[in-house]
Amino acid sequence: MSTLGSAVRAGASALAAERMRIEVAVSNLANAESTRGPDGQPYKRRDVVLQTTTVQDFDDSLGRATAVGVEVAAVVEDQGPARRRFEPSHPDADKDGYVTLPNVDPAEEMVDMLGAARAYQANLTAIGLIRDLVQRALDLGRG
Amino acid sequence: MTIDALKGRIPSGLPKVGGGDAATTPAGAGFSDALGRVVDAVESTESQANTAVSGMLSGTTDVHDAMIALQRADLTLQFSVQIRNKLVQAYNEIMRMPI
Repeated sequence: MSTLGSAVRAGASALAAERMRIEVAVSNLANAESTRGPDGQPYKRRDVVLQTTTVQDFDDSLGRATAVGVEVAAVVEDQGPARRRFEPSHPDADKDGYVTLPNVDPAEEMVDMLGAARAYQANLTAIGLIRDLVQRALDLGRG
Repeated sequence: MTIDALKGRIPSGLPKVGGGDAATTPAGAGFSDALGRVVDAVESTESQANTAVSGMLSGTTDVHDAMIALQRADLTLQFSVQIRNKLVQAYNEIMRMPI
């Protein structure tokens, strides 16, 4: 099952990447109201950059790998404008009474998270399908 | 897993095919060698699954990696059982052959 092995590895790399996307979306959602970070600045929304990668396999070294995996290239900060809210009683409010909030839109993060979760499920289904195929091939030996 | 301990006992029950001239039998041609290689394959995937599960428990491996390693070990074991069945079947077939 050498060829199917590389497909399983590609699926596994996608699972790791989607898990990372979910983690980043969750941290964005959790920090939607964080006005202070380690540098004293409000939290900045983070984005995951994905890139293709060749899966390390026996087939790959023979130059006939058919499956291409995915990996997280970087987690970058969104440089979009921060939200501002009038809240003079807040300790982090500026002299005009405005608080600078992270550039996180909770609705957008929910959509991102749902997309990543569905992609995770899709890759799980793909790996399960490969498992079923190998299982059926093994059933040839019965009887 | 200590399947290796089991491997030592397998060849004793299965004599090599090819009669007395064992020297002319190419390496890996006997039933016992075939079984030994299958057991080696099971052993290696089993140890990979073990590593993945302990990595999962210590938090260094992802859940899906551990489960894939377990599935791989399971499928390799099923494959080796099928090989064993076929080898034993072939051996019995030859032993029943009237001369």
